[in-house]
Formats: sequence, structure tokens, C-alpha cells
Amino acid sequence: MKKYTLFVIAIVLALVLSACGGGAQSTAEPEQPGEPAATQSPEEPGLPVVLRVGWAGSPDTLNPGTGVLTEAYTIFALVYDTIYEYRLDGTYTLDVAESAELSEDGLTWTFKIRDGIKFHDGQPMTARDVAFSVNLYKNNTDFIYLNAYTTNFDTVEATDDNTVVITLLNPVPNMDYLLSYLYIVPEHIWKDYAEAPASTEFENLEMIGTGPFKMIEYRQNEFVHLGANKEHFANPPKIDEVIFQTFESPDVLVQSLTSGQVDMITEMPATAVATLQGDANIKVVTGAPFAPSVSDVIFNQADPENCPTDVGGLCTGHPALRDRNVRLALAHATDKQKLIDIVLLGFGTPGLTLIPDGLGPWYNDTLVDYEYDVEKARQILDDAGYKDTDSDGIRETPDGSRPLNFKMHWPSDSIDAPRLAELLSEMWGEVGVSLELQAIDPDALTAECCPAFDFDIILWGWGSDPDPNLLLSVYSTGEIPNGYNETGYSNPAYDELHAQQGVELDPEKRREIVWEMQKIVHDDVVYIIPYYEQATQAYRVDRFTGWITGMAKVELSDVSSLVVIEPVK
Amino acid sequence: MKRYRYLLKKVSWSAFTILFVLILNFFLFRVLPGDPVKAGTHDPRFKKENQEAMRVRFGLDKPVINCFETLNPIKVGDCWINPFETQFFIYIRNLVQGELGISYHTNGPVADILVERLWNTLLLIGAGQILSIIVGILFGLFAAWKARTVIDYSALITGLVTWSLPTFWLGIILLFWGSGHGFPIGGRITPGTSSYPLSYQIADIAKHMVLPTLTYTIVYMGEYLLVMRSSLMDVLSEDYILTAKAKGLSTFQILKDHALKNAMLPIVTIIAINLGFTVAGAIQIEAVFSWPGLGGAVYEALERRDYPVLQGVFLLIAVSVVIANLIADLMYSYLDPRVQTE
Repeated sequence: MKKYTLFVIAIVLALVLSACGGGAQSTAEPEQPGEPAATQSPEEPGLPVVLRVGWAGSPDTLNPGTGVLTEAYTIFALVYDTIYEYRLDGTYTLDVAESAELSEDGLTWTFKIRDGIKFHDGQPMTARDVAFSVNLYKNNTDFIYLNAYTTNFDTVEATDDNTVVITLLNPVPNMDYLLSYLYIVPEHIWKDYAEAPASTEFENLEMIGTGPFKMIEYRQNEFVHLGANKEHFANPPKIDEVIFQTFESPDVLVQSLTSGQVDMITEMPATAVATLQGDANIKVVTGAPFAPSVSDVIFNQADPENCPTDVGGLCTGHPALRDRNVRLALAHATDKQKLIDIVLLGFGTPGLTLIPDGLGPWYNDTLVDYEYDVEKARQILDDAGYKDTDSDGIRETPDGSRPLNFKMHWPSDSIDAPRLAELLSEMWGEVGVSLELQAIDPDALTAECCPAFDFDIILWGWGSDPDPNLLLSVYSTGEIPNGYNETGYSNPAYDELHAQQGVELDPEKRREIVWEMQKIVHDDVVYIIPYYEQATQAYRVDRFTGWITGMAKVELSDVSSLVVIEPVK
Repeated sequence: MKRYRYLLKKVSWSAFTILFVLILNFFLFRVLPGDPVKAGTHDPRFKKENQEAMRVRFGLDKPVINCFETLNPIKVGDCWINPFETQFFIYIRNLVQGELGISYHTNGPVADILVERLWNTLLLIGAGQILSIIVGILFGLFAAWKARTVIDYSALITGLVTWSLPTFWLGIILLFWGSGHGFPIGGRITPGTSSYPLSYQIADIAKHMVLPTLTYTIVYMGEYLLVMRSSLMDVLSEDYILTAKAKGLSTFQILKDHALKNAMLPIVTIIAINLGFTVAGAIQIEAVFSWPGLGGAVYEALERRDYPVLQGVFLLIAVSVVIANLIADLMYSYLDPRVQTE
């Protein structure tokens, strides 16, 4: 009898629980319109008009010298101005400068700085602040990323309040690009922090700049609260404030948009896109990201005979991966469209070279990719002598010493890589190649990757700058000791072209060189590039209007959108 | 006198444990593969000379300890260098001066990060712990009192089910439910309300705490319920309880004067251990509700190999676990005088 009672209770409890669960899930459906859960409505008179943005990250610092995360650079771009600005259509425009002039020898740039620009604290901004800022980035070698843009600068001087003269060590083809990251900071504040270690220890919490938005409050991993700079010389925002709020879990980030707690989200899991597209109050935008990214399959091609042992090289990669035939066969055995459909749920474009299609003219779209053809892949391996001599379904090297069994590693923080790895394992299994799959802590992966070359295959990727120079350097011999050449690929002809494109001032000629370089590495099958991921962002149509979409790149948190959006009437 | 010696023994053991953790903390993170300078900064813009400058800034250019340049990979170095010029000595010296160092990641002082995060965690997890202790003990008491009735069995099953619920799953379910009922679903405060009156801010934080605290209470009360129930049932089956019954005492009196004090011993142990770990935060709840607590700080610091923050957080956790255990030991000697003689 007692056992029976227990059983009944268990069933009742289970029912109650499942009912609760079901009920909770049903409320996850989109909110009824006209009932926004947000604390303030932008239409209410008297209250400031606040845009609420949800994102999954948070700036790591407000000091441009030590910023690493993209979220930090989003904030820098809103609060600071630069000499040149990079825009969503992929072009550069002058920002605080009204004219730029280059000397005959290509070594002296003269910029005229606009009059009447004021810092957020009311102090005037002059050419001296501009020169001071560029020198700040130039002199501080432990500035993580921004120091790299000044490598070719010789002297930076303000000759008067309106003129900045930059002289170069070598002519550079991409001055606009180099200057678009050098944020202008006030000399009257930063002069006390101009040199290490003060320059890197400075937290810059007040973050005085000249940009369209000014810092109100920053709480790390909670939110960034910006106010509009209505006196901005070019782009005074129409809204009054912007709040970027951090939601650590991607599902919760999506929920914050559907429930109306935020007005826009800058990222989302691909699985959420279909649900959001079905919501009448939400518009999803997809396209090439502002900073396009590439995913790559890295083959260890470092030769033990020529191993960079002085920088910790071990060069233990599987010898078969140094054979172009094997890499070529694997390229033919890879169904990129299937990878995109399954891993990215379709939100990506097939990869070709390290230069993503999002980089516009630099992307060599005349290259023809290796077609997906399993028979051809098998044929290539057969012809090259990789036969399955012991009939276990896995091919052996021509001398019969090692099976084509490769270790495939990926960073454990990657969401897409496990699925990518499973699919590749299946596809390559078709041609007699087996993989041992394993996720590795990202730092440990960096340690085994390069310049140690202590791996077979790694799944990883790169973010990108608008200019192709850095991504192209990843194939160059010079980057082997630095640890950015991940494959150990070394080709003097390629290195020569890489040097040339760095000094070729004619944009059309430079483009030709860049295209030729992509052809070389594509022919050598240095990497397999599975896909270029697209950005997916979304905003509520019942809150703000005027978002800039339909440009070459998608970025709703770009300054161009944030200064023109208005509340829905 | 006995009590004094017992105390002294416990306190000195605690001090020794903390000292051990201090030393272990330093080496623990340095044997991890990875390089704090390169962690999270795999980017060709970050050139060799920038890396070297950063290494000097963090003091990572110095040998870890005499005879060892680095621990992972192990690189043996000069044993005859000045020991005061090693990372280990600098670490100990800074600690003695009360300096926890500067975070590699945010460039802010570690102490500031810890204080802020600790406060957030204590607020959330503290409230959750207190609620789950009260609810769990009350239900457990009631279940044991009404042993082998429907009430007991429902309490037992509820306890088992809630204890085994995955925290993040329950959190997400409550979050989806709460977002439809006007509860904020992330963060500690509504951003942009720093200039509002204090009463508004307190109410705002309380509102943000509802869902995570509820999640915490549901998940953790089961443990207290089950332990309380079984421990009290053990005690109630003792002969002296039978004697008390025979003397004609009421059930309430038996529970209050005879059973409860003895049944509390195991509960005190779990409370002490759990309170210690409270400081470590409930990383899953913090992640689901974007609560800026210590758990998240550990995760970020590990990703970036942020040694100073890791050392600081682990020291804090170790100290609080040790202190919580010390308090439990002392409580024991009060609740059960026998432990002093053993």
C-alpha cells in the first residue's frame, strides 16, 4: 500500500513539474505588441531617448593602448574621432582632417585639421592633440595592437594648430587605413600618461574624446553607458543615450530582444535566426561583418629538416601533410556547401583564400575552387601512392610506414568547430583518411601551434582588418618566428610579392599583386578555407527607425547607424 | 584548558593550510600550458617587440624561481641568480605588503576587482544560501516529524528532484518565465540608473535578484532537506527519545529540547562547507543571469591566463573555505563537547 502511494505521488509530481516546464516555455513566445517590458519608452516626453543594445561581451578596458576585445574597439569608435574613418561601404573618408596632401616622394603627409572641434570636457581640440595621439601610439611599444599601425612613421609633428605633418620611413599604400585606428585623445589629460608604464596602467575611465558619443559610465561585464555629443562637428546623434548591456548567455541575449528589454542585439546563435525572423516586431539583418572573419583548416607543413628550433620549433607534424597531393585530395573531398548548411545553418559563403569576400576588391573572385569530387580525391591519392595496403579502410604513406591518420585539434571555446570537425571526419573518411578529434584549451593550442608546429591539423580562424596586408603576412616566412605563420609554409616568391604590395602606391597594381599572392597559396593548398561567416544582428522595428542596412557590410552598432536612428513615432 | 588547546590546534592548522595555498597558488597557474602575453592576443598586429615589452611590464621576463626560467614548458635556468629577482620572491613580497597586483586583462588593481565581484557574489549567493537553509531545514524537520506519511514522501521526492535539477536548465526555464512577467533577465542593476535615488536602486537590485535567488534556493534546498530529514530520523529512533516519550513530553518538546541539537551536527558541517564555497559563486547561475560575480571573473581570468586575478580569487576562496571550516569546528565543540576530547 505504501509503495503504491509513493508511486502515485511520484507521478503527480512529475506531471506538475512538466506542466510548469511547459508553461514556462510557452511564455518564451514573442511578447504581445504594445506591452514593452523595458523600463522606459522612448516616446515618453521629458525622458532622454535611450537606445539599449544587448551584446555577449564587454570591453576589456577603455584604454585604446591595451584594448584587445572587439567590444572595446566598438566603444573607441563611438567615443573617439580619427584622421580617417572607415565606413560600412568599405571606403575611407576624412574625419577630423579636412584635407590630406602627399609629397612627390610619397614620404610626407600633410593634414589640415578642422577648426572648432571640442573635446567632451569643453577643451578645444587642435592639431597638437592629433600629433600627440599618433606619437602616443608610436612611442609605446607595449600597446598591444595600435603600435603596429605606426611602424612606418618616422616623425609626427603639429606645425601649427591646424596642421599635422607625418613623415614616413617608406612610402605606404594604405595611409587611410593605418590612421583609421589611431584614436585622438586629449593631450591635456594624456600628457601625464604618455610613457610606459603609466600609459598602459591608465584606466581612462573618464574617456574624454571628441566623438559623437561621450562616456557616462562603464562597469566591466555589466554595461557601457554613453551619452550623445550633440555638438559633434559632423555626426551629432539624434538619440540622447546608448546603453550596451552584457548578456553572457547567447540564448538569454536573444530573449532580451524578444521580451523588449533591449532594442538591438549585435550577435546571436544561428539557431535563433529563424525564430526571430518569424517575429513581426523584429528585423534580422545578415551580411558581411564589419571585420570579416575566416575559418581555416591549418595543415602543419613545417619541415623537420628546416625547423625553427631557436624559437621552440618541434615540427612533429604528419609527413603526408607536407605533400601537396594529400592536401589537394582533402580539398576535393570537402563539401563546403554542406559545412555551411550544417555548421552555420546557411549563414556563410564558401571560403576560397584567407582574404574573405567581405574585404571587397582585395578578394580574388577569379580563382576557381577545387570542386567537391570524392572520386577525384581518391584518384589523386592513388596516383600519389597512398594506398590502403592493410585493408583497414585507411590509406598508408607510399613507403607503407604510417597510416593517413591525423590528429585534428580546435580551440575548446569554439562553438562551430566540433560540428565542423565531425563533418570533415566523415567526408575525409570517404577517401580513406581518418582523424582523431580533440578540443584543446585555446592557450594550450597556441602553444602547440606555432612556432612549435607540434600538431597535424588545427581548425581555427582569423579576424580581419579592412586592409589585406596582415592576413597575407600569415603565409609569409617572416611570421614563422612570431608564431603567426601557422602552417610553416615558406615560399620566397610569395614573400617577395608580400614585400612589394606593402610599398606599391598604385591601388590597381597593388590589387593585382594581392590577387597573384592569393593564387599562389591557393595553388599550393596551404589551407582549406571552409567558409566566411556572415554577421547576424537584429533590432526591434517598434522602437527605433533609420538603421543603416543594405551596405557592403552589416554593423548596427556602427557610428553611422547610431547617429541617425530615431524613436518610432 | 582543553578547549584552549583544541582551539590553538585548529587555528594553527588553518594558518598552515592558507600558507600552503599561497605557495601552491603561485605554481599552480604557471604550470598550465599557455602564455599570459599571448593568451587571447593571437593577432599579427601584436609583434615580437610588443610581446617583449608586455613581458617586461608584467615582470614575466624574470625567472620563475631559482634554477627555473619557466615551468611550462620547463626551462632550466641559472641557479646562482639573485633570488630576490625571481617572480616568486616578488609575488611573496607583494603579498606581504598586501598587494595583489594588477590584472593583465583589465589593467586594473586586482583588489578592486575582487572586492566588487565578491560583494556581488555574496549578495546573490548569500541570499540564496540563507533562503535554502531556512526552507530546507524547515521542510526536513517537518518531513522527519511526519515520517512515513504522504507529507514525508512528497518532501523526500521534492528534495531529490530539486537537488538533481541541472542548475542552468532551471535557471533558463525561470528566466523565460520571468521575462514574460516583468522581471529583468540579466545583470545586477538596470544600466543608466546610477543617478537615481538610493531607494530606487535598492528596489532595482532586489528585482534583479529575484530570478537567480529563486533558482539557487530551489536547487540547494534539497540537500539541506534530505540531510536534515535523515539526521533527525536517526536521532528520533534513539532510546533516550523513547524515554522522553514515556515521560509524557509533547512532540514539540521532544524535538526542541532533545532531538534538534543532536540532529544539527551534520547540517552544520554542510552549511560550513557550502558557505565556504559560496564565495566561489555559483558559476552557472552567474552565467545564465549575467550576474557579475566571482565565478565569471575566474572564468575570464583563466581564458586570459591572468595570473594576478587567478591568484587573488583562489586565495580568497581558500581563505573563506578554511575560515568556514574553522567556524564549523568551533561550533562543533560547542554543540558536541565530546569532540574536544578526541
